[in-house]
Amino acid sequence: MAETKEKSLSDEKPKPRVRPIVRLGIFLISHSFLVSIVCCTAGVLALFLLPVLAKNTYISENALMPGSASPMLSNQHVSDGNRLVKDLTNPNSKSSETGIESHKIIAQYMLDLGAEVSFHKFHPQMNQFHPLHFFSSPVSGKIQENYSCSSYGINTVGIIRAPRGDGKEAIVLVTPYNALKSGFGEALSLGIAYSVFSLLTQVTWLAKDIIWLVADSQYGEYAAVAAWLREYQTPKFSSLSTPNAEMCPDVNNLFELKGHSISGSKFSNSFRRAGTMAAALVLKVRDQNEQFEDTISIYAEASNGQMPNLDLINVVNYLAVHRQGLRVNVEKLWPLLNSSWLKSLGEIFESLAKVAKSLYPKWKFGIPATEYVEGTATLASSLYYQALGVPTGPHGAFRDYQVDAITLEISPKFSLDKVWRNDILLRGGRLIEGVIRSVNNLLEKFHQSFFLYLLTSPSKFVSVGVYMIAFALLIAPLPMVAASLYVDANSSSNCSKGDSSTPSAITDTDEHGIAIRSWRWLNSAKLVFIVHLWGAIVSLLPYFISQIPDCSPTTSFMIWVLLSILSLLTLNSVLASPLACAKATQEKEWALVKSVTISSVFIGLGLMSVINFATAEIGALLMVPMCLLARPLKLDVRAGTLRSFCRLICNLVLGHIAFPPAAFFLLKGMLDGFGNANVGDFWMWVESLWAWNSATYLFIGMVQLPCWVLCVSILFHTC
Amino acid sequence: METFINPKSLFHLLLLPCLLLYSSIAYNSSPVEAAMHTNNWAVLVCTSRFWFNYRHMANTLSLYRTVKRLGIPDERIILMLADDMACNTRNKYPAQVFNNENHRLNLYGDNVEVDYRGYEVTVENFLRVLTGRHETAVPRSKRLLSDEGSHILLYMTGHGGDEFLKFQDSEELQSHDLADAVKQMKEKHRFKELLIMVDTCQAATLFNQLQSPGVLAIGSSMKGENSYSHHLDSDVGVSVVDRFTYYTLAFFERLNIYDNASLSSLFSSYNPSLLMSTAYYRKDLYKRRLEEVPVTNFFGSVMETIHTDAAYKALSRRNSGRFEDEMSLDQSVHHIKRRMLIKVNDGDEIHDINPEGEEGASKCPWSTFRNKFQKAENVDSLLNYGLVAMIPLLVISTWLVQ
Repeated sequence: MAETKEKSLSDEKPKPRVRPIVRLGIFLISHSFLVSIVCCTAGVLALFLLPVLAKNTYISENALMPGSASPMLSNQHVSDGNRLVKDLTNPNSKSSETGIESHKIIAQYMLDLGAEVSFHKFHPQMNQFHPLHFFSSPVSGKIQENYSCSSYGINTVGIIRAPRGDGKEAIVLVTPYNALKSGFGEALSLGIAYSVFSLLTQVTWLAKDIIWLVADSQYGEYAAVAAWLREYQTPKFSSLSTPNAEMCPDVNNLFELKGHSISGSKFSNSFRRAGTMAAALVLKVRDQNEQFEDTISIYAEASNGQMPNLDLINVVNYLAVHRQGLRVNVEKLWPLLNSSWLKSLGEIFESLAKVAKSLYPKWKFGIPATEYVEGTATLASSLYYQALGVPTGPHGAFRDYQVDAITLEISPKFSLDKVWRNDILLRGGRLIEGVIRSVNNLLEKFHQSFFLYLLTSPSKFVSVGVYMIAFALLIAPLPMVAASLYVDANSSSNCSKGDSSTPSAITDTDEHGIAIRSWRWLNSAKLVFIVHLWGAIVSLLPYFISQIPDCSPTTSFMIWVLLSILSLLTLNSVLASPLACAKATQEKEWALVKSVTISSVFIGLGLMSVINFATAEIGALLMVPMCLLARPLKLDVRAGTLRSFCRLICNLVLGHIAFPPAAFFLLKGMLDGFGNANVGDFWMWVESLWAWNSATYLFIGMVQLPCWVLCVSILFHTC
Repeated sequence: METFINPKSLFHLLLLPCLLLYSSIAYNSSPVEAAMHTNNWAVLVCTSRFWFNYRHMANTLSLYRTVKRLGIPDERIILMLADDMACNTRNKYPAQVFNNENHRLNLYGDNVEVDYRGYEVTVENFLRVLTGRHETAVPRSKRLLSDEGSHILLYMTGHGGDEFLKFQDSEELQSHDLADAVKQMKEKHRFKELLIMVDTCQAATLFNQLQSPGVLAIGSSMKGENSYSHHLDSDVGVSVVDRFTYYTLAFFERLNIYDNASLSSLFSSYNPSLLMSTAYYRKDLYKRRLEEVPVTNFFGSVMETIHTDAAYKALSRRNSGRFEDEMSLDQSVHHIKRRMLIKVNDGDEIHDINPEGEEGASKCPWSTFRNKFQKAENVDSLLNYGLVAMIPLLVISTWLVQ
C-alpha cells in the first residue's frame, strides 16, 4: 500500500510545473463553451449598460473658458445681419442665372466691413471609387481634366486678420449657401454669420484670424467645402492649373466686375489664406420650424467614425444651454424611442439601481427609464453614424485635415416675423461669438478631451475605456473557442485513428502521422484564405461595374451578385473545392475550418476596432454568435434533440441576418419601414460607402462576407 | 572693551551699565540676529503663463503696486512675471492689466519694472535670485542684493499642489528646493527676516520643509484645499484676481506708510468663508511676536530711524552691529517714540535702562558731539574770563603809558 503510494508520488513528481497563466489558458479553453456564453452575454449586456455608465461631459481644456466673457454682439450687429438677409432674399438679387449677384452682395458686405475678400472658383469633383487610393488622403493633387466652364461653384471667402495676432492660426466659419435656390434658412444663416463677422472686425481680442467661408452648395455642401479646403491646404506652385480660371470667360467677367466696382484694395483675385485652422464651425438654419422651442442640432461624425474633440461639442453645448437658452440635440434613432422592450429594460435597470442604492447608499448609477431610452437611442445613432463612416455634414471635410469641426443646425421655433428673426439672429450670433471667443483663447490644438467617444446625450458621453469593454467581452471567446476546436479536432481524429489502426502501429510512423495531422489545419487555412481572396475580389468588382454606363442600381446590384457567385465558383474550381472539402478521410474537417474562420474573424474584428470601433462593434454583434454557433446542419438534424433543434433554428436565423445585404435591409426596414425597400438601395448604399472612402466597405467585403460564406459552408457541410 | 579706556565726559559714564548689559547679550547671541533691520526687499513671482492665468499676473502686479506704495523702491523689488498678459492678443485692453472688474486701476501703468519676464522665469533663475548665485553678466537690477539686515518679502502665485509650485507649465519648484534655497540664504546672511507669502492651491504644503530661523510663511490654503479666484471680469473674459490676494490687497488698501497694523492683524483678517480656503501661517521659525511686528516691516520699507552724527563714520559693518543697537537704545530713551514698536532682542533691556548711568563709549559720534558742545561752552566762559582778565591788563598798560 505504502509502496504504491510512493510510486504514484514518484510518478507525479517528474511532471513539469505548469505556469499559472498557462494553466488558466488551458482551463478557459477546456471550458470554452461556458466561457463563450458568459462573455457574449456580458458583452451584449455591457453594450446595453453603456447609457447607464455614461459620464457627464466637462470642459477639459482650461484655456477655453467658455462663457466667461459676456457677449458683445449688440442689436446694431443684428440689424446689420438683417440688412444682408433682406438684400439676399430680395427677388432682384436672384435675377442672375448663375447666382453671381448674391455672391457679389456678400462680397460687398464683407468688404464694407474691412475684411479681405476673395472668390474661390471650384469644379465639383465627383466622388469616385479609387481602389488604390482607399486610405490615402483626399488630396489627389490632380485636377479632373474634363470639366466644363458651365459647371463650377464660387465660394466667397472673407478673412479678418487678428489686429495683434501673429496670423498663424485661424478659426473657420462656414455657411453653405446655394445662390440659385436658397431658402430663407440659408439666408438667415448668412445673416447670423454676418452679424458675428461685423462684430469681429471691431473687437480687439482676436488672437486668431477669422475666415468666413460662404460655400456654394449647388453641388453639395461637402463638395464645396472640400474643394476649398483642398485648395487651402495644398498650395499649387505650378502655373498649369491657373489658366483654367481664365479659360472660362464667365468667371473672369465676375472678377473683373468686382475689381471695377469695388474701390477697396482688399479684394483679391488670388486665393487668400490665413493660418492653421484651430477649429471650424458649420452653421446652418433649417427651413422647417421646430414645434416646441429653438433647438440646435450638433452633427459631429466625420469619415470613418472620426469625431472632433469632445471639448468642441462641450463648448457649444455649454454656451447654447447655459447662455443662450437653446435646446441642444444630437441625432437619435427615433424608432428606438417608442420601443417598449427598451423601456422595460430601462425600468429593470432603474429598479436594480434602486435596490443597489438601498443596499449601499453610495451606489448611485441608476438613471430614469425615459432617460435610458433616450440615451440608448442617441447611443445607437452615434454608433450607427460612426459605423457608416460617412460624414454627417460639411464638417467632415475638415476632419480629413485633422481640424476639429462640427455642424450646427439651428431649428427656430416661430414663424418668420421680424421680432423673432432678430431674436434668432441675436442668440445664434451670440452663440457663435461665444464659441469663437472660447476657441480664440485656445493656445494649442484641441487635445485635452476625448477623440474616441460615443454620445448618449449632448452632455453625456461614453469614453473609449468604457465602450471597449463591451467589445472586448464580445470577442474574447473567439480565440478560446478556436483553440478548443483545434484541440478537439486533433485529439478526436487521433483517437479515431488510434481505434481504427492496429495497436501494433510503429511509433515512428505514428509520430510522422501526428506531424502530418498537426499541419492539417493548413488545409482549412487555405480554404479560408481563398474565401478571403474572393472577398477582396468582390470588393473590387463595383469599381468595374460602375464603369458601365447607364446602369440602374438594381441591375448593377444584380451584376455584382452574379459576378461574385461566378468568381467564387471559379476560384473554387481552380484553387480548391471548399464546399466539397469533406472527404471521408477527415470527419472533423468542419471543426478545423470553423477554428480557422473564427481566428480570422477575430483578427479582422480586432483590426477594425482600431480603425473604426463602431463598425467592429456592430460587426461583432452579427458575426460572433454566427461564428460560435456554426455547426453542420446535418449533425443537428441527426441528433434530433431539443437542444440541437434550437441550435439549428438559431443557425438558420443567424445565417440569414449576417448576410450583409440582408442585414442592411433589416436595418433599413426597422428604421424606415419595409414598404419602400428596393434591391437597388443596397447598391446605392455601398456606392456611398466607397465614395466616402469608408473603411466599413472594406470590412464588409473582406471580413464579414467571407466569414458569412465560410459559416454557411460549415452549415451545409456534408459529414 | 577697549572702548571704555578713556571716558571723556560725565554723560558717557551714565551710559556704562546699559552698555555693559547689552554687549554681553550681543556677544552671546549670533552676530546675524543681532543685525539691525536696515533694508527691505521684495521678490514677487508669478509662475504661470497663458492667457487663462491672467489673474496670477494681476495678483503679482497688485502686490508690486502695494509694496511700492508702502515704500519699497523699485530697485529693491525683483518682479518676475512668467507671461505678458498686457500685450497678449486676447487682451481686450491692450497694454493694461486690471485686478478688478471695475477697471479703475491699471496695474500695468507707468513705472513697472519687470526684472524677469516670460521664459526667464524658471525655477533655476528663481533659485539663483534667492541664493545670489548669478552669472557674472547678470546686472545688479536683477539681483537680490540683500544683506543680514534685510527683511525680504517673497510672494509667489501660480498653480501648485502638494509640496510643489508649477513654473511655466513645464517645471516645478518643490518644497525641498525652496527650503534649501532659504537655508542657503540664511547661511549667506542674505536676510534677517523672511516672509514667504504664497497664493496657490495647497500652499501650506510648500512650507513643510522650511527649517531656517527667521522665516515666517503664510499660504492661501491648507493641504487638500484649492485656492479660488475671486471674481471674473466678463469684459476681459478671465478671472482677474485670486481670493487670498484680493483680501490681502483689501487689507493693505486701508493702510498707509505710517500705519502700524501688525502682521497678526493681517493674518487674522483672512476669513475662511470668504477665501473658500483656510489661510495657513507657519510661525514656529519666527521669534518675534506677530502682534508686535508691523506689516510695513515686510510690505513697506519702514524701519526705525537711526540718528547718526556723521554720515560715514559709524557704518563700518564689522562692529556696527552692536553699535547701532546702542543707538536704538539711546533713541528709545531720549527721543519721542513714534511707534509702539519694541524689538524683541532689546525688549528686556529697555526696562533696565537708567538714563543717569555712567559714562559710556567714547567713539559714539553723538557723544563726541555732546563733548564738543560742552567744550564750546567752556570756551565761551574762557573768553569771558579772558575779557575780564584783559581789563586790569588794559588798566595797567594805560597807566604805564601815561
